[in-house]
Amino acid sequence: MIPLAEIAPADMVDKVRDTAPATPVVRLSGVSKSFGAVRALTDVSVDIHSGEVHAILGENGAGKSTLMNIITGVLQPSTGTIEFDGRNVMPLSPESSAALGVAISYQHPAILPDMTVLENLQVALPSSIFADERNDRVGRRLLDEVGLHVPLKARVDTLTIAQKHLLELAKALATKPRVLILDEPTASLDQDATDMLFAKVRELKAGGTAVVYITHRMAELRQIADRVTVLRDGRHRGSSLASQISNETLLDLIVGRKLASAFPPKCEVEDPPVNFQVRGLSGRKFTDISFEAGRGEIIGVAGVEGNGQSDLMRALVGLQPCTGEIRLGGSALKPKDLKTRAAFMPSDRHTEGLAADLTIRENATFSSLEKYATAGVLDREREMSKVQEVFTALAVKAAGVEAKVSSLSGGNQQKIVMSRALLSEPGYIVADEPTQGVDVGARFEIYRILREVSDAGTPVIVNSSDAAELEGLCDIVLVMSRGRIVETLRGEEITEARIVGAAVEAVTDAHHVEEARRVQDGFGAKLRHFVQTDNATVVPLVLVAVLLALFVSGQNENYLSAFNISNILILATALGFIALGQTVALLMGGIDLSVGPLAGLCVVIGSFFINDGNTAATMALGFALMFGAAVTVGLVNGLLIRFANFTPIAATLAMFIGLQGMSFVLRDGPGGYIAFDVIDTLTWRVGPIPLAFLVMVGLAIALELGLRRKRPGWQLRAVGSNEEAARRIGVPTDRTFLVGYVAVSLLTALGAVMLMAQIGVGDPAQGVNYTLGSITAVVLGGTSLLGGRGTFIGSVLGAILLTEVLNAVSFLGLSQTYQYGFQGLLILLAALIYTTARRRRED
Amino acid sequence: MADSSPNTFGGAAGLASVNLAKGFVTIVVSTLALIVLCVIFAPSAVTAGSLVGSLPFASVLAIVGLGQMLVVQQGGFDLSVPGSVSLAVVIATHMPNGNDAMLLQSVLVAIGFALVAGVLNGIMVAYFRLNAIVATIGMNALLYAAVFAISGGVPRITTKLLAGIAGGKTLGIPHSVYFALGLLAIVSFVLKKTVAGRRFEAIGANPKAARAAGLVVKPYQAMAYVFAQLLYCTAGILIAGITREPTAFQGNSLLLPSVAVVVLAGTSLLGGRGFPISVVIAAFFLNQLSQFALSIGVPYSAQTIVQALALVFGIGVYSIDWTTRFKTATQSSTEEENP
Repeated sequence: MIPLAEIAPADMVDKVRDTAPATPVVRLSGVSKSFGAVRALTDVSVDIHSGEVHAILGENGAGKSTLMNIITGVLQPSTGTIEFDGRNVMPLSPESSAALGVAISYQHPAILPDMTVLENLQVALPSSIFADERNDRVGRRLLDEVGLHVPLKARVDTLTIAQKHLLELAKALATKPRVLILDEPTASLDQDATDMLFAKVRELKAGGTAVVYITHRMAELRQIADRVTVLRDGRHRGSSLASQISNETLLDLIVGRKLASAFPPKCEVEDPPVNFQVRGLSGRKFTDISFEAGRGEIIGVAGVEGNGQSDLMRALVGLQPCTGEIRLGGSALKPKDLKTRAAFMPSDRHTEGLAADLTIRENATFSSLEKYATAGVLDREREMSKVQEVFTALAVKAAGVEAKVSSLSGGNQQKIVMSRALLSEPGYIVADEPTQGVDVGARFEIYRILREVSDAGTPVIVNSSDAAELEGLCDIVLVMSRGRIVETLRGEEITEARIVGAAVEAVTDAHHVEEARRVQDGFGAKLRHFVQTDNATVVPLVLVAVLLALFVSGQNENYLSAFNISNILILATALGFIALGQTVALLMGGIDLSVGPLAGLCVVIGSFFINDGNTAATMALGFALMFGAAVTVGLVNGLLIRFANFTPIAATLAMFIGLQGMSFVLRDGPGGYIAFDVIDTLTWRVGPIPLAFLVMVGLAIALELGLRRKRPGWQLRAVGSNEEAARRIGVPTDRTFLVGYVAVSLLTALGAVMLMAQIGVGDPAQGVNYTLGSITAVVLGGTSLLGGRGTFIGSVLGAILLTEVLNAVSFLGLSQTYQYGFQGLLILLAALIYTTARRRRED
Repeated sequence: MADSSPNTFGGAAGLASVNLAKGFVTIVVSTLALIVLCVIFAPSAVTAGSLVGSLPFASVLAIVGLGQMLVVQQGGFDLSVPGSVSLAVVIATHMPNGNDAMLLQSVLVAIGFALVAGVLNGIMVAYFRLNAIVATIGMNALLYAAVFAISGGVPRITTKLLAGIAGGKTLGIPHSVYFALGLLAIVSFVLKKTVAGRRFEAIGANPKAARAAGLVVKPYQAMAYVFAQLLYCTAGILIAGITREPTAFQGNSLLLPSVAVVVLAGTSLLGGRGFPISVVIAAFFLNQLSQFALSIGVPYSAQTIVQALALVFGIGVYSIDWTTRFKTATQSSTEEENP
């Protein structure tokens, strides 16, 4: 395990004094990091100098990203120190790291898909950047810096992957960082964008910025890097000036010498009969893949992660659409047969491989159950004997077949996935990273099993980022880069060095070189843009509301009388306030079922204090208690959801019932008449329009503006859009959720005040229906239930429309049947239309 | 980790109970503790007479709970319980209007409605990917529309035949108990012993893994809602027989308890394995808890607070499981970021 060349960073400092100052900007000394039993980094020391591009190389799992997360303060090192300008800055948090001038462009962009390009910049960057100029000018300038030509108001999920990476880059550059970390920045960029990026990096370097450049690609390193550090297996394997190290030496450092191992013998038959053929296969992220293999030959797929290998694997088993031909044993497979003929071993065991809830027996057999059943009823004996047979063959080590699958080691978990594949007696097996997270001993057993399966005549295709594994295991290796096969190696040609060499030296153009640049002006484009905004639903809602009003007034002219209009608006005001609250919950990706009973409880509380004959102070106390109760309920909801692992539904449903009970405890029937003066004041109107309604509309507009233009609004949408990304860009997620649920309750209390004026008495049975009503109004308004997208204006319109419908039902002399029926139909139709429309856009 | 040799698989039968452990043991221990409390502090709540009076309601809750369990197993949530139970109640009372000859027809009509509602729920959730809450809230409103269309909100008296079938007693035990136990047996058998049931559980436990293994996922997710509706419908018809003059809102009080028993029985609200036996015991527990609370003088109006606390307690007990889930999730995402 001794590296071939180890050049301590300190040695190099002297030789480059002309380009780098003596003290590095960042110095990591003896940094180690463990995740449980896994050591991601062991004793790594790196110096990063200003005015230099420092490339960090290493294979997947070498510890590059962990190292970067330590510099950005996202992860804390287990041991070791971090110095900035010679000063110890431990412990480092994302905030303090940013304050020291560190910016990072992530390999998986930390962007919020439901927000616009400009909003993504605004929520992630300090407001000082936008202080001097108009926001859109600043935003445009930041985008021009990276050559991203998209409308600032475009929603980020409409961008291509390359554009998202450019946006991520723009965010990193905007703060004019002292240390810029670029994590695989070119993985999805085309040649033009890559050139632009390199020009940018050189410019920054000239300005004194230290650039840390993480890459897999040797060719890029030669173009851009001054200094290079190689990591392998979490250890520092060497640092050097880029100009002083050859590709061969670097490759040796990256690959290292692995354990000499007992791989099973390879296929010894010369030109075995072909049993698996792929011709001209193209799909998402891969193009024109052709290969064939004979009986007993294991096919390996190699390449730097993210070059289409995983997508090819998924397409081969029918999980992703593809075009082209797949032939198994001489006959072409239809697309719909792929799923049933193939057995897939996914790379991510936890999300796609295993059901943690089930036992190992159940996990092993769920795809082959019909083989142990007679007329659909399982024969336990048969299932058991089959399972034991395969577990014995695979040498699964477990406490028993009924053990929980989560109690097994990684290697044994993978053997369970394999058992399932074998039990389903597949036509061919596709294994995506079969030994990831598997200990060495189990690895070789997995190789042995794959070899046995292949020898028995079942084609086996293995994707692996471990070149040594492919060298030892495979008879044919396809090296992929940017979605194409760049090299096909056979027999003696299959060596680790050739595989890695082909993968990192490839200069194939990106799969999606041409990116349609959309025309962004003209009425059509503006209309298209409007349809995509959150507030697009305003138009159909107003239209439906007006048409309905005209229709009903055609039936009964009193419908549009001043009295009825003000009646509708008063009702809509109470519902509107509560719907505004529900909108906040949905924007966060949650839901609040307790709003209805909370409104009812608030009215009941108020009915004890706000009565004729009571002093103003008593009444004020009543209002204070109403809002106090709301704050308490909001806090309890938020705490249960954020800190006690309750789902929003569970927490607020329990609250729903609890509050309802509370109302009945306080009053077992209607009682406590509300003071007339208070009711009169609350329902005071200007012409037919109640003042309270105008207040509600004003509040909705204010909230809407806050949602689009103010940091708390962006943060609210950020946590609902993508909580993980929000956390990475520095949004205080827990606090945002907590404040959000309190806001829901406070808005509900406002609604309760109006409800109180409307019913005029403390009735414990009232209010409950507002849960359904508010959800209907919000869904009608067009707020997404998935979080991140919504509109307060739409919710108010939804509330008005719903009230109008319910009012029309009674005006037309229709029964309660229609009230419920219309409400149910409205919510279902709206949800169906919006869900379908959104999905189409996403496709 | 576990380093015993693969030969130990033979002794697996003894380990089968391990999986039942947490939910089953928790609910059985809680129930026994409650009975002891009743014997000491509220002996009137455990007399034969009071049990015969309250068991029918526990049985109804158990049946509704089994339905809710199926939906929750698929990571869903069924808020249409009140509407569908109420609809079954009014169909079973209004259509026959006291005439025993009409009973069978009315039951068939009720089942027909349940099938339609269940299929619609299933299609909306599984195929159109509608949020389960919104779909079932909307469905609940539609079901109530049907309730009013049929009944106008006015109760009618149960037929004698139905009262005899649902409300009668054999060997001193109310018939509804037999119904609940029979349905329990069916649900348990199908879930645990048939190909379809085992697939159903696997898909609920991890739909992505099921899909990656080549299974079709959507029909199973949709069927959860259909069978749930059939169970609610059965519960509604039983209520119609047990209660002499049932209201049109009979189902309202069952929504929260239906969720509570599922949670108390140990099924995660995120989906996965179902525990039918535990659900039925939990229904008995919750019902007995109400009896206990009443006997020691907690006012009737506070009953729902007791139920809410039981739900919070139930989730609290299992939240340890959730933490590991949560940790696994974050861990794998960190692994992704730090390959």
